Amino acid sequence: MIRTRFIAPVVGLVVFFGAWEALVRAFDVQPFVLETPSRIVRYIAKFPDDYFSAALTTMRHAALGFAISVLVAIAVGAAMAAWDFMEQATQPILTLIAVTPFAAYIASVKIGFGIFSDKPVVFIVALVSLPAFAFATADGMRGADASSRELLASVDASGWEVFWHLRLPSALPSLFTAAKYNTGLALVVAYLAEGGAGGLGKIGARAVAGNQGDRLWAAILSMAVLGTISLVLLNVLQRAVMGWHVSQRTQRG
Amino acid sequence: MPRTPTLAPMPTGNIVSLRALRKSFGALETIAGIDLEIERGSFVSVIGPSGCGKSTLLRVVAGLEPPSSGEALVNGEPAGDARRHKQVAMVPQHPGLLPWRTVRANARLLLDVNRKANGPTTSDPLDLLERVGLGSFLDSRPHQLSGGMQQRVALVRALALGAPLLAMDEPLAALDEITRSEMRGLLNQLVEGRGVTTLFVTHSISEAVALSDRVLVSSPRPARIVADIAIDLARPRRGGLDDEPGFFELCTQVRHALLQGAHA
Repeated sequence: MIRTRFIAPVVGLVVFFGAWEALVRAFDVQPFVLETPSRIVRYIAKFPDDYFSAALTTMRHAALGFAISVLVAIAVGAAMAAWDFMEQATQPILTLIAVTPFAAYIASVKIGFGIFSDKPVVFIVALVSLPAFAFATADGMRGADASSRELLASVDASGWEVFWHLRLPSALPSLFTAAKYNTGLALVVAYLAEGGAGGLGKIGARAVAGNQGDRLWAAILSMAVLGTISLVLLNVLQRAVMGWHVSQRTQRG
Repeated sequence: MPRTPTLAPMPTGNIVSLRALRKSFGALETIAGIDLEIERGSFVSVIGPSGCGKSTLLRVVAGLEPPSSGEALVNGEPAGDARRHKQVAMVPQHPGLLPWRTVRANARLLLDVNRKANGPTTSDPLDLLERVGLGSFLDSRPHQLSGGMQQRVALVRALALGAPLLAMDEPLAALDEITRSEMRGLLNQLVEGRGVTTLFVTHSISEAVALSDRVLVSSPRPARIVADIAIDLARPRRGGLDDEPGFFELCTQVRHALLQGAHA
């Protein structure tokens, strides 16, 4: 069972990369359109420090924006769950943020904060991640067990105590679901917003400008690895924090 | 340093006083003028048809719902104030254990909030958990316990508060017959001699008779008390009570009152 759990993804990845390699070679695809995995790996191996340091920068941008977004979302989501007025007032704003294409305002934000600064990247990541986190927090907190809510009310627990002991833990399952969606989003946003601020986004942007297929696909593969590592870390964190939840202990089948 | 319980003389008199109590939700009247006194240290059950307003009555006494008119006093103060002063310990129908807390932490929950209102009569939840046979499950999570064990934790959580009034809303309803019977015995053991007053809402006639000093029979909604039956079975109540003729007679009496009340 455990062996299958580890072997299956490896087999899947080997088949995927093998087919990719074979198709690119068979159809002689231009390097800028699609590079073979073996050449991408060789290219990264030539400049390991550059890619490692750029990946750390992108990870920092995404993680900082992600963390700020979670904190703001918990405050906003808690207010939405507690007051109908707050929910009705906030929902259109969050919807606007969610549906507005962030790529369209990246340049404006970067000019506002400073083109070579980390701040606009972190800001955009935080902003774009906010709606999913806020809606998840509000839904999770509203879904807190009614019997437990009444029990806490029966001893006049304060709003903060209800939040800390009941509402916040109740929101964890939906927060982690949103986090899994937002992990990929945060990395994509960081990559696209980076430009002069360094990171894999800067390498990618320069590769596009210089028509360098090897360099571009090395940045793309690095992003994919970064995303995978982030999701694995998130799953480990979820298992540690939410071991009590049915999703973390139910076996399929 | 562990706190030593002080043996103060047990206060006497009525702990719950309801006077012309009415409760409505909009046009829906759920309680229609109840006058009731509950003596300190007694075990009083309320029985009645489904939806008659028993749980609403319990929630008014627990200070969770204000009366629409009339008065609900607990320990000499309005029920809402009694709630703020942690004078009422609730045991809901569903145990309401927090799945992320261990048994030990769940048993402490009511002590961990609104701490300034914790009185001198609080009990150590660990001692109580030992008494109810959960000493080896202190670090377990609720999902690792059976329904009966979860309800025992809920009972300990309420008793640990040391409140003078225990308000129980059909706490045994979801349990199987054998576990229910065990829980009755345990409840009698824990409550008898502690001086705590219990207001117990139930659908079960035998449960009401086995546990109570008085059984109050409610009419269908809006709730009125149509019979107040004294249960004069000796205490401490022991196992095998169900087979005694006196128990059977009292059950019959309650059943008749319930049927008459349904057509009142």
